[in-house]
Amino acid sequence: MTRQYEVVYIFDSALEEAAINERLARFHALIQVPEAEAPQVNHWGKRSLAYPIKKHETGYYVVARFDAEPTALPEFERAIKLDEGVMRFLVVVNEGAQPVPVTAGKSDEEDDE
Amino acid sequence: MRRPQKTCAICESGVRVVDFKDERTLSRFLTERGKILPSRLSGTCARHQRQLSTAIKRARELALLPYIKGFVG
Repeated sequence: MTRQYEVVYIFDSALEEAAINERLARFHALIQVPEAEAPQVNHWGKRSLAYPIKKHETGYYVVARFDAEPTALPEFERAIKLDEGVMRFLVVVNEGAQPVPVTAGKSDEEDDE
Repeated sequence: MRRPQKTCAICESGVRVVDFKDERTLSRFLTERGKILPSRLSGTCARHQRQLSTAIKRARELALLPYIKGFVG
């Protein structure tokens, strides 16, 4: 069974766009499920960090959403950790914007969590 | 003595799930030093306060929000 995940990467802002895309393709190949669609990738681009990470003041942010098997995640995270170009990353189960089942007469407060 | 009931700003804006990537909104729920504002002061409802605290902690990890605002050194 697949779950929907969301991952935020912070790349070293000194990296070229092509190098970042190559890394993203490599990471996403690890979690690719045959019948699932390709990950939605959203480049935020270069932004300043709220505090320096490894002496860097800026980072290149990329947000991706994908469906993946939970069993594929450890290897995916390991690959990212080993990559020197990624300063930091965060993988979360994507709970945002879930389709709320509309059931008539039922309170809106009950369908959460 | 009961304190007057404040309304939850997040409920009013119609947001169901607080997004950790939206640091503009999150920063409204921080003190000027970057601590999480207690719901006692912000009036946030319990569910949204729980979501907020997780979201703020995630945003801090991603350097979207500072752990301590105005810290030099």
